[in-house]
Amino acid sequence: MYEQNGEEIFVIDSHVHLWDASKENVKHEGGEQFIQCFYDYHTGFTPEDKQWSMEEYRQYGSDRMAEDLFSNAAVDMGIFQPTYLHEFYHDGFNTIDDNAELAEQYPERFVLNGRFDPREGEAGKRELERQKEEYDIQGVKLYTAEWLDDSKGWRLDSEAAFEFLEKCAELGIENIHPHKGPTIRPLNRDAFDVADVDDAASSFPELNFVVEHVGLPRLDDFCWIAAQEPNVYGGLAVAAPLAVHRPRKFGEVMGELLFWLGEDRLLFGSDYALWNPDWLVETVMNAELTDEQRDEYGVELSTDVMKKIMGENAAELYDIDIEAKKQAFQSDGVTEEFGLAGHYGAGDAAAD
Amino acid sequence: MSTEPDVGSPSIAAVRERLDRVTDPELDESIVALDYIDDIAIEGRQVRVTFTLPTAWCSPAFAWMMATDAREEVEALPGVSRTRIRLREHMHEAEITRGINDGLAFAEVFPDADGGVAEVRATLDAKARLARQYEAVDALLEAGLEPEQVASLEFADLWLEDPAVAFVRGRSVGVSVPAEPIDSYLEKARETGLAGDDHPELFRTPECDPIPPDRFELVQKRCRLATVNMGGQGSVCEALNEARRDEDRPPLSPDEHIP
Repeated sequence: MYEQNGEEIFVIDSHVHLWDASKENVKHEGGEQFIQCFYDYHTGFTPEDKQWSMEEYRQYGSDRMAEDLFSNAAVDMGIFQPTYLHEFYHDGFNTIDDNAELAEQYPERFVLNGRFDPREGEAGKRELERQKEEYDIQGVKLYTAEWLDDSKGWRLDSEAAFEFLEKCAELGIENIHPHKGPTIRPLNRDAFDVADVDDAASSFPELNFVVEHVGLPRLDDFCWIAAQEPNVYGGLAVAAPLAVHRPRKFGEVMGELLFWLGEDRLLFGSDYALWNPDWLVETVMNAELTDEQRDEYGVELSTDVMKKIMGENAAELYDIDIEAKKQAFQSDGVTEEFGLAGHYGAGDAAAD
Repeated sequence: MSTEPDVGSPSIAAVRERLDRVTDPELDESIVALDYIDDIAIEGRQVRVTFTLPTAWCSPAFAWMMATDAREEVEALPGVSRTRIRLREHMHEAEITRGINDGLAFAEVFPDADGGVAEVRATLDAKARLARQYEAVDALLEAGLEPEQVASLEFADLWLEDPAVAFVRGRSVGVSVPAEPIDSYLEKARETGLAGDDHPELFRTPECDPIPPDRFELVQKRCRLATVNMGGQGSVCEALNEARRDEDRPPLSPDEHIP
């Protein structure tokens, strides 16, 4: 937990991955371009002394991931968001079954999301059922720019996608996380256009649409849609690391998001391993609006607001009881592994 | 132009000044100010411009627009008979360089592209118009106009000097306002077809309609949002640009053992 002004802030990192971009797993040039593009984002928005080497970045494994997330208690829980990319990687880039390796090792600490691709038709629906049955998923990550055969992407407002959204509603998979973010080589930029969220969100009011990366570089389109659709949320992955070298821009973006969506519909995410929460949480927590921004937007990054963004809002969507979790974390696997009992107030609390 | 014997070779400064009018369509900022221009070479009446974008995978449509605009701007300069544009370090540098210099259409070079360049340009121009409207409206409010007065201002109510003058109250009163934000807005308003359409009003909603007085503040907030979006994306591009030019960066091309 992060502590600010004597208050504990329970951090749920709503966007993490366990990926494999090892050379052995790359099957198409696109896979190599993809990971190198990620690496540019990594180095572009990571303090120099925290940057990884390209080799570390390709495949870091579950032990390293657990350590990065939990060893300094930067994060209390993580939500896995899979990214398949089977056209680029032999065994996929970051599948639910890869993520399950760590999620099953520390079940108290992770939410495991699934995914669907409407182009997979009936087989895709059966796979979605399997994910629900096997992992009891409550959410799906959607990657509308994914390639499949000759197709370079799909739309969330298509008839086929609506069938899958209906299936989600039927199975009780309530949280839909479409990736709507910056261009990633070699994917088609327009496949991340946020416009298709509008129709899907108004057609499925029983589902929550967490737009990952808040639509950047279409923040304006995203905010306008979200202002009208109460079941649209913003995932801050990619926006958050703006706080590193561009705190003023980060303030402006947060000002707009808080103005149009309010403090109850924003979720922190590190996008791990794009960026590492072991420094990013602190950077975001230390960010401040300028006086001018406070006046302009009439909002504050107060401790209460940050508590919601860093954890409470995600807890609400995923039915996580934060107080019960704090209790449970006094003695779960992660706490034992990293010696965090004191941190969660177990035994001699003064030791923390 | 070759029939005008009195015009000598263009200067580098003159070419740069023309290029300064070309914007990155996503950021609405000059490609000169953004430092995309690597080199300008002049030989007699021929000009060669070399440029690099912040990322190698920057949208081919954006790259195409900047290259086309650069070529047109430079060729409009007296004394220039031929312009060659070269894009460097881009995943489609060869296709774009050849396409622009051979005068091909975007769709001929990129048959797989989703939409045409014109469509992408129109979308981005509309956003740039909003961002510029934000500055222009802000300047007018700052100069003392009331929101209703700004909303009902017509193209014909402007006197374009430096400073500009906006006439209100049946054109009986003129208010001075800095020329720059007004000129800059007018340029985009013309490009997006607002000047001379069905409405005389100068400022519009994002949907290009006149602004109802009760929506004035909301429209201005949406214009602000367009500005912040461009600035945010500009920061992302800038950071990627720095990452890309870092000497430790791994090579862009895949290793040869990967199929």
